[in-house]
Amino acid sequence: MNIQRVFLLFSVILAGCSKPSDKIVVATAANVQYVMKEIQKEFARETGEEIQIVVGSSGKLTAQIREGAPFDVFVSADTKYPQEIYKNGGSEEEPRIYATGSLVLWAKDIPETELSTAILATEKVKKIAVPNPRNAPYGEAAIEVLKAQVLFEKTEKKLVYGESIAQTAQYISTGSVEAGFNALSIVLSPEMKDKGHYIIIDSTFHKPIQQAAILLKHSDASPKKESSTKFYHFLYSDKAKQIFKKYGYK
Amino acid sequence: MDWQPLWLTFRLASITSVILLVMAMPVAYWLAFGKFKGRGVVEAIIGMPLVLPPSVIGFYLLLAFSPSYWFGAWIEKVLGMRLVFSFPGLVIASILYSLPFMVYPIRAGLQSLPSSLREASYTLGKSEWTTFYKVLLPNCKPAILTAFVLTFAHTVGEFGVVLMIGGNIPGVTKVASVAIYNEVEALNYPAANQYAMVLFAITFVILLLVYSINNRLLRVRQSS
Repeated sequence: MNIQRVFLLFSVILAGCSKPSDKIVVATAANVQYVMKEIQKEFARETGEEIQIVVGSSGKLTAQIREGAPFDVFVSADTKYPQEIYKNGGSEEEPRIYATGSLVLWAKDIPETELSTAILATEKVKKIAVPNPRNAPYGEAAIEVLKAQVLFEKTEKKLVYGESIAQTAQYISTGSVEAGFNALSIVLSPEMKDKGHYIIIDSTFHKPIQQAAILLKHSDASPKKESSTKFYHFLYSDKAKQIFKKYGYK
Repeated sequence: MDWQPLWLTFRLASITSVILLVMAMPVAYWLAFGKFKGRGVVEAIIGMPLVLPPSVIGFYLLLAFSPSYWFGAWIEKVLGMRLVFSFPGLVIASILYSLPFMVYPIRAGLQSLPSSLREASYTLGKSEWTTFYKVLLPNCKPAILTAFVLTFAHTVGEFGVVLMIGGNIPGVTKVASVAIYNEVEALNYPAANQYAMVLFAITFVILLLVYSINNRLLRVRQSS
């Protein structure tokens, strides 16, 4: 294999690369990723149009949108980040709430009968995974719950922060921590079903986890404008509402 | 500005570099002068962290350190400690992650010494160990310094592995590179910028020092 041949091979491979697709890109908060797959299927079935999903934590996606990432719709885990984008002129219309999330306490090896927030303060639990409360609404809610139930002082030293809901789920499902807080939509997903036990946290202990989406700005000439708008409206349709409900959103 | 993440980064880099310096010496010597079969395999394994994505190292370490898997369970039983989400865990991860940065420069330094040095020492009845310690090592100071500093700087720049197994605990595993990432996520660019500037300046100064010291050492050697 001489050097010319290697170059030739490379140029053939590169020549075969396609142009960037003209599918619309939906930036999706980690807790919504599994639901979004189903919404993607349903949207394709109804309209024949494909969407592309980019998953990340809401904070990271917002930073990327601010710096001009080529996303068309942003489906956030909270209302703060989309509002931030709207204030900075990233959209022509205000963000709208599409669902309210539920917080769960989830453990790989603690049986459901023993699982409660009280167990977190005991010897049985050495580490507790929480999404980073600074930039993840479910993490913020988890800290509110611990404080409201006067468990925060006893558990603060045990807390481990995942950078997003997905990484926190990884810590819990691999058993790296004994227990942790997460989104109901994650434990109900096909990927995480049967990985341990969970209880739904009484939502009176934290502020409601309202999740908003926002249609990002497009120029009038943009070929994606029409399909992005169509998808954004589909998010608030009855069909989508049913799918969100199935994944534990209110 | 919170200095804790920066302090933690430098503690991690210092401890990792010192441990690796001791560990890498025999490995580098063995690779430089040892005669054994399967040399290529050993070299490939040591060089892996150079080319593997940190996410791969991080992912496997997360599984290895987790009490749900045999290694993590065994460590927890024997030592009563959990490596995932702990500072010792980060040190072990960094040792793996920076291993080639310590081994390769030292090996190259040893190999570049004239073989007459070793032979003269053996002829004068010195043991292999004395020869290594008293003759060879003092003669490859620039290589050792380079290895140490590259290891230190590489560990300062560690991000992916720490993000995977650190759990972002302030004062324990929240190093500067992760702190920058958090500040950007929280849309707090001024704070991210402060951390980034400090890291940028410090790494530049370190490398500048090394290269100027090395150049001086080499000049001394050439003129003598």
